[in-house]
Amino acid sequence: MIQVENLMKRYGNQTVVDHISFEVKEREIFGMLGPNGAGKTTTMEMIEGLRDPDDGKIVVAGVDAKRQKKKLKQHIGMQLQSTSLFDYLTVKESIELYASFYPKARPVKELLVSFDLQEKEKTWVKHLSGGQRQRLAIAIAVVHDPKVIFLDEPTTGLDPAARRSLWDIVLQLREEGRTIFLSTHYMEEAEVLCDRIAIMDRGKILALDTPRELIRQLGTNTRIEFPSKDDCYDSEFSTLAGVKKVVRLENDLVQLHTDQLADTLQQLIPLADKYHLPLNGISTRTATLEDVFLEQTGKRLS
Amino acid sequence: MIKAYFQLVKAQLLLFARNKNSFIWSLLLPVFMMIALGTLVGGNSNQFSIQVSIIDHDNSIMSKKLSESLTKAPGVTTVALSEKAAITRLKQNDLQMVIIIPKGFEAKLNKQKSKATVTVYQDKGNLSTSQLSSAIVSGTVDQINKQLVHFQPKILIDNKGISTHQLQYMDFLVPGILSLLIMSNNLNGVAAQIASWRERSILRRMQGTPLSSATFIAGQMTARILINLVQAVVVILIATFIFGVNVYGSWGTLLFFVLLGTLTFMSIGFTVASLAKTPESASPIAGLISFPMMFIGGIFFPIRQLPDFLQIVVQAIPIGHLTDALRGIMNNGATFAALQVPLLILLAWTILAFTVAALTFRWDVK
Repeated sequence: MIQVENLMKRYGNQTVVDHISFEVKEREIFGMLGPNGAGKTTTMEMIEGLRDPDDGKIVVAGVDAKRQKKKLKQHIGMQLQSTSLFDYLTVKESIELYASFYPKARPVKELLVSFDLQEKEKTWVKHLSGGQRQRLAIAIAVVHDPKVIFLDEPTTGLDPAARRSLWDIVLQLREEGRTIFLSTHYMEEAEVLCDRIAIMDRGKILALDTPRELIRQLGTNTRIEFPSKDDCYDSEFSTLAGVKKVVRLENDLVQLHTDQLADTLQQLIPLADKYHLPLNGISTRTATLEDVFLEQTGKRLS
Repeated sequence: MIKAYFQLVKAQLLLFARNKNSFIWSLLLPVFMMIALGTLVGGNSNQFSIQVSIIDHDNSIMSKKLSESLTKAPGVTTVALSEKAAITRLKQNDLQMVIIIPKGFEAKLNKQKSKATVTVYQDKGNLSTSQLSSAIVSGTVDQINKQLVHFQPKILIDNKGISTHQLQYMDFLVPGILSLLIMSNNLNGVAAQIASWRERSILRRMQGTPLSSATFIAGQMTARILINLVQAVVVILIATFIFGVNVYGSWGTLLFFVLLGTLTFMSIGFTVASLAKTPESASPIAGLISFPMMFIGGIFFPIRQLPDFLQIVVQAIPIGHLTDALRGIMNNGATFAALQVPLLILLAWTILAFTVAALTFRWDVK
């Protein structure tokens, strides 16, 4: 549905999107995961035809995004990172306004119902909650029944309940047969929603696969973390059973990557006893996308 | 995209009506200005008066009669001064007119076939006062002339010219306020609004739809023209019914100039919003342009004699011409024929500013 080849964007002498290539399949939820300033928004805006790339090729639903912008805009819908709605218009008026920009639009009533905004029909955008506002932004994004939808950090700043209700909406959009390209800096969101994820940092795509495959590629499935001020024991930690890697984290934390949790712990406890290392605050968990991200970029996302 | 155009006009009108600030600034402020300036400046003599010094070198019955009539003429305040002092004060703009009755004035009058001359000095740099003063003097002199020849008028003139209007400061002020309102609504208003929409990605979001910038701008212009026309009518009605201001000219002509001014300043506002490097700097830039215009636009007070280079500037910029035109229509019943200069200059500005605005318009932040 979307083909991106060798895409590049430069601001001044800083390359914010550095020759990336990828493909988004039809009826897929494709996630772009990365910290602020990674180049996610710029990438999206170039695909949406809002910014001109300095180099590269973009095809969306068979339309050249650089040359056929008018045609492109008929096929795509978008929700931008900032609200981008008029404070003093009501929900209904906002939908009607955007509906008028397209030759063909869905009935307002139908959108109000499917985005659970019937009761807010006459409320000013100014008085909506964050979640309601995002639902309205997405309702407007699909007002012309587009094939492809772009959602730029749709749940940033929302409380957990509102976030979950928005996830349901995104999944519903895919059920309707649409292709969804979303960016996020929430690991959980990417893991729950996305069929495939591209991890982006400093303008480059570092990894691209299904969440499951990305985690599997880490090689080890468990993380053990505990406080340890000195790094003089790190070499000994690496000899413990099952440990593949020892990583020093900020805040004097050390992290052991293992695929044999029980064996590693059994050997770790006597070792800690021997050197009088306090193991309070120790935690173990299965590897997540967060670890994929750490592995790829050398930094934590959140 | 006629549907989009109407929706955009509707949206802009709703946004204006629902924003408390825009309401306060656009209706309460002009009324407040009328009250404040009307009482402050109007003072005891609520009259829009010109300061005149009459120098009588003849000291005869006739010359005294003339100076007495002039003193009684509406809108004239006389100041007793020596000729030299009077001329100096005229140059300093403390006086608007010096009238000199030469020696032998009466003698010449009484002689058959000879004419007596009265010399009038005035500041031609100030159009509104000089016109007014001339009208007053010629009206008075004309009356005396008629008395002298025992003139029986055959044609009666229902004189609605300037000399019969009791021009009050309020009459002078209201067109100025209108002009100021049009400038600030549009130049400052548009620059601030477009910049804020750009900052909040509202424009970028619209750019993501098939909406064309031409449709967007047309919708904005239509809505703002409607708002400004309604506002102008409301302000004039308040001025008429509460402050006793008269509109001597045609409402059609008046509203046409309101429209022309709206287009001019709106286009400048669009240009400022587009050229400003950051959205936050658009409003200060608009303020920087409009603030001095407030003073050299003849809004609250007549344009006093300005240094030559400023005189050129004043003649070149739109605000003074808009104020002059509105004032001419309201105070003097001026028609298009009498307003050719402001009409042409404002038209030129509208076309120029609109072209620049259309060429520089952009949806996004650079």
